[in-house]
Amino acid sequence: MESAKRRKGRSGSRRSSARTHAEALLLAGDAPETRALAAALSAEWRAAPASLDALEEWRARESAGATCARVVVAMPAREPAGALRETDAGAWFARAEEPIARWAFALGVAAARCADGGAIVAVVDRPAPLDCAGFAPEAAVADAACALVRSLARSEGARGVRVNAIVTSARLAPSQPIAPAPALASFPGTYEQEVAGAVRLLLAADASGVTGQALAADCGRSW
Amino acid sequence: MTAAPRVALVTGASGGVGRGIALACAAAGWRVWIAARRAQEGEGVAREVDAAGGAGRFVACDVADADSVAAAIAAVLARDRRLDALAHNATSGLSPKPTSLREVSLGELQDHIAVSLRGAYLLARAAHSPLRSARGAYLLLTSEAGFEGKARLPIYAAVKAAQRGFARALAREWGADGIRVNCLAPLASTPAMERAFALDPAMQARVLGRLPLGALGDPIAEVGPAARFLLSDDARFVTGHTLMADGGSCPVT
Repeated sequence: MESAKRRKGRSGSRRSSARTHAEALLLAGDAPETRALAAALSAEWRAAPASLDALEEWRARESAGATCARVVVAMPAREPAGALRETDAGAWFARAEEPIARWAFALGVAAARCADGGAIVAVVDRPAPLDCAGFAPEAAVADAACALVRSLARSEGARGVRVNAIVTSARLAPSQPIAPAPALASFPGTYEQEVAGAVRLLLAADASGVTGQALAADCGRSW
Repeated sequence: MTAAPRVALVTGASGGVGRGIALACAAAGWRVWIAARRAQEGEGVAREVDAAGGAGRFVACDVADADSVAAAIAAVLARDRRLDALAHNATSGLSPKPTSLREVSLGELQDHIAVSLRGAYLLARAAHSPLRSARGAYLLLTSEAGFEGKARLPIYAAVKAAQRGFARALAREWGADGIRVNCLAPLASTPAMERAFALDPAMQARVLGRLPLGALGDPIAEVGPAARFLLSDDARFVTGHTLMADGGSCPVT
């Protein structure tokens, strides 16, 4: 029998009458991969600001928008990677500190925009552990984003909202992965294929008992 | 017990877990630099290191500031000529303050990042050369929050998780230089934990209620030795790892 809490969760939020018409809402950093992901998911694409100074105002504005049952967040890494000893302060800020701030604010918007009983999925660029040398800032950002997802799963679970992450190395795979070779020849995969499919999986009602998880859609490169 | 005395620097060592690490290293006869912003408290811990069998030194250090970090490492090398072990324990003063992702300010967020993560980066940059010369060890103090997230402390959880990712990657990057990089996730009775309990009264029952060993760890007797192990040659084949020293609290490893 369906619980009262679940029925309440499915009934939608106070702003349910103003839901978006797209199948999902995608809050994203501006990159070809996120636009491709939006197309693959038939999602409304909403850009997060590049500047940190604009984040607070953006969160306030976007949080007031219509709710949606399915919200996806993708903040792809934007800067070239490299060894830490060759990473100056400016590069460090751009590769580590700025992206974590963008993730925190974008997930704050996602919480506000996701309807009761809905689902949020974060698409996180993460270097596979075997291939992460030279990606220390990116690995830090990825683990931070996954922790933010778990924190949000805890805080939003009471209203029936599930929050999960898909981790991918599609944008952070080295040109020559070290041995052993990835399990699937399709490594590292793409946003529009492997990532989009995994996002659909976690957004679906079939995943109604899954929350706080980080699922690697990296063609068997990490487990 | 480690045989050879080592030179260690511990950030945020003017109290709590950092002090516990410093005194555990002192018990093994190490020379321990107390790197902290609070001079009076830091110098007091340096004297405790002397009394515990080591050699204590204090150096003022703001881990979020590149010049301050570089000066602290330079002070170590000027006096002791080497650095074998580096432990980054300092965290933002905002760590126990509850917040949410819908309301956290950019300023609060940046303070967390600056101390925990920028500090990790600045220390790594400044200490790489002496740690390579010593084939030494770099230890980052993370938290179970970084594994499982926290509904009311999401930014704290995020920066603690970020340290794990950073350490995992740096361990692979620095392995060829003979430098080990690890994390320790303690759960200890500290002034910071007491402040967190005061800010969230229900937290104490939540924390203590799931501890198989029944009580918070003692920073000197129970957490410090675990840190000393990872910083010592006894752990010479351990890198890229996070060791839980939490009394079995965290259900995720």
